[in-house]
Amino acid sequence: MNEEISQPIASRESRKPGFGNTWGLAVVCVLSAFVVIAFGVGFLILPATHQQRDQMSMHDNIQHALGHHVHDGMSTKNPAATSIPTYVVWDEATIHEALSGDPQRGEFIAMNCTACHGETGVAKQKWIPTLAGVNRIVLYKQLADFRSETRLSAPMSAIAQALTPQQAADVASYFASLTGGVETQAIHAPASGRTLRGTDPTLRLIYAGDPKRGLAGCATCHGPGAYRMGVPGLSGQNADYIEQQLHNFAQGSRRNDMNMPMRTVAGMLNAAEMHGLAQDFSAGQSLVK
Amino acid sequence: MERNRLLPLVHMWAAFITFLPAVGLGVWQMLMRSSLPAPVDDPNVYYASVTAHGTIMAYVFPTLFAMGFGYAISNSARNGALAGKKIAWTGFFLLITGLIMAVIPIISGTSSVLYTFYPTLIGSPWYYLGVVMILLGSWFWIAVMVLNFRGWKRDNPGQTVPLSLFAITACALLWGWTTLGVTTEILFQILPVAFGWRHSIDAGLARTLFSLTLHAIVYFWLIPTYIAYYTLMPQAAGGRLYSDTMGRVAFILFLVFSMPVGLHHLFMDPEHGSGFKFVQSMLTFMVVLPTLLTVYTITASLEIAGRLRGGKGLLGWIKKLPWDEPMVLAVALSLLLLGPGGFGGIVNMSFAMNAMVHNTAWVTAHFHLIFGGAVVIVYFAIGYELWPRLTGRPLMSKKLACRQLWLWFWGILIVTVPWHIAGLMGQPRRYAIFDYSDPSVAKTAPLVNVSVVGGVILLISVILFFVVLIRTNLAQPAASMPPVRYSLAINPPRAAAPLLNGLGFWNAILFALLLISYGYPLGQFYFMHDTSSPGYSLTRELNK
Repeated sequence: MNEEISQPIASRESRKPGFGNTWGLAVVCVLSAFVVIAFGVGFLILPATHQQRDQMSMHDNIQHALGHHVHDGMSTKNPAATSIPTYVVWDEATIHEALSGDPQRGEFIAMNCTACHGETGVAKQKWIPTLAGVNRIVLYKQLADFRSETRLSAPMSAIAQALTPQQAADVASYFASLTGGVETQAIHAPASGRTLRGTDPTLRLIYAGDPKRGLAGCATCHGPGAYRMGVPGLSGQNADYIEQQLHNFAQGSRRNDMNMPMRTVAGMLNAAEMHGLAQDFSAGQSLVK
Repeated sequence: MERNRLLPLVHMWAAFITFLPAVGLGVWQMLMRSSLPAPVDDPNVYYASVTAHGTIMAYVFPTLFAMGFGYAISNSARNGALAGKKIAWTGFFLLITGLIMAVIPIISGTSSVLYTFYPTLIGSPWYYLGVVMILLGSWFWIAVMVLNFRGWKRDNPGQTVPLSLFAITACALLWGWTTLGVTTEILFQILPVAFGWRHSIDAGLARTLFSLTLHAIVYFWLIPTYIAYYTLMPQAAGGRLYSDTMGRVAFILFLVFSMPVGLHHLFMDPEHGSGFKFVQSMLTFMVVLPTLLTVYTITASLEIAGRLRGGKGLLGWIKKLPWDEPMVLAVALSLLLLGPGGFGGIVNMSFAMNAMVHNTAWVTAHFHLIFGGAVVIVYFAIGYELWPRLTGRPLMSKKLACRQLWLWFWGILIVTVPWHIAGLMGQPRRYAIFDYSDPSVAKTAPLVNVSVVGGVILLISVILFFVVLIRTNLAQPAASMPPVRYSLAINPPRAAAPLLNGLGFWNAILFALLLISYGYPLGQFYFMHDTSSPGYSLTRELNK
């Protein structure tokens, strides 16, 4: 058997001339033709079929194929938004400004805050938020929203309007540097019961949300476990304040949440759930065990 | 017995040692997704586990395997005179250091970004640095492969490079090209935000860079398997390779077409126009060609072996094949898995059909069928083929090895077939939690539970694989052990055909295709403004 195959069998293949320059040229030609056809279909023929369907000009359709989204002036027909949730945009310049605060200058400004928010940034009255340990970008945004009155509060608007953006960044960085208030670096050891199999309904809402209502878990943005820019950590925040804000979001009396996640989520919670969430976040420790 | 056997042996051991825990994590993840009770059912642990599973399976296990296999091939081709051993060991230690650097932050829970990173998610910078170091280590391997390819040509002027050496060098070069995408993404997009130097990330640009890696990496995993198809299986079956030329053309097509097609992973992304998505969809169809060529050539090679062994009639040769040879069995099972896996891939890359399966469990099922099934089953067989040559001990035993391969085959089918169906029923991917009390979700529960059973079978199979390797290592050395023999073609190439004997021309073609297909999609970001979003951090507040 092996003898039969031990000698290479002469065939047409072995007599063929090797792949030389002619083959190289052929490869380039075939590939070029293929690429030209692909571009022709992708940028001319398909846009032409869209043209018949969408009543858009050929020029706009080719622009569309390139990824330039042309709207035929339709965007100008949209009425101006009647309600702006916030004027803060998270671009590099804004973030840089929010992070440029000086805590020492901020400590001086913070003397205006101690009457309500406590001398160490920990508010005694439970319906007033504790500021110690809150992320400086979060505080900067809330001050900006109070200043522009996209978040409504008579005393806070007056105070915020008296501060320049730089002073707002200073005072934010001072409160962020204090300890004993909100905890955002909570150790997050693995534990069972944080999925929908969990038995504690509030913990289940915090970690797993409620897919039937389209509710994401609170921890997805507020921690422990993950933090989104401009979203406050809640572990150790005052319970009455959290509960009040949930009601405000649900009723639409507070609406400075970008892309309205809080108005959407709070609108789907009942009063008992709001109370339970506020209590658990306030206690803090039970969240991370 | 082979000279220089330590280098491939250490790489292969390292590869499989990382593979075992990664399979274990995969089984637990499937359990977590099922309606059955799972220990430590914490979503954050799920995402950490997926990150570890993906990082090992995508960047570490196949890379170490290809490196080890590459060293074995080059060493044989150069008759035991492998050049660049110091470079090779440096690469290995860099890779292992990178692995440790990446795994520690994953275990600490600070880097649950999945192996595809998904910016604007931001994990610990050490995780990303670890991944870069893993890639850096593998680049040393590329250098050794090119060094030996050139060395062989210098030593054998005018002769045709052996197919195995030609293919593994194409594989190494493809890896070099394709890892540029992920490395650039990590170094210039993700790390500055992870370190806090910048605060926002252009997710569109980052994803486009990653798409340069995301598809070709699959072909990098596949090429060692195809090398075994072409150069180890025909020998093991007692026959000859049907066509050496066909093999070269297939590996060249992989090198050229694996990369300018990555945009088909971004069909649903808004940052690119439909034109380039269509062009890359067309180019993706070209990648089907080398696989079709291979299926044809390998089936023909199996038939040659079967007929040489006395098989008659239309299908009588199949019965005559040596099914107790692990390599023959693995290649046949791999081809069976490649069929449905390949057709699933054609669905994914078709511009319109992709919309139906995008972001569903169908996609994860698809790449588990292709990689876990068609590719890894042959990695096992390559292990069985090389272990006796590298250790000088006989395989203990072929029978157990074949049972292990059969278990893996059925395990993969039991895992992935229900998984595909769940995906078609709309089950989303990347979810840690499913609400099985919802009637529309509950329909998928039995399917996921069946997949869990398949996962357990896979775990048993991989443990059996270790049993075979360890028993082989402990066996009495054989009196003599011939070195690895790579299959000859029925018509071995005689005249050196320049285009099929070198890779320079094809690298130029690849570069031109990349410029045409990615030049504008990448270049447009330099003219776009305000396209960045703030990083989204895990476990810690950025800018504290």
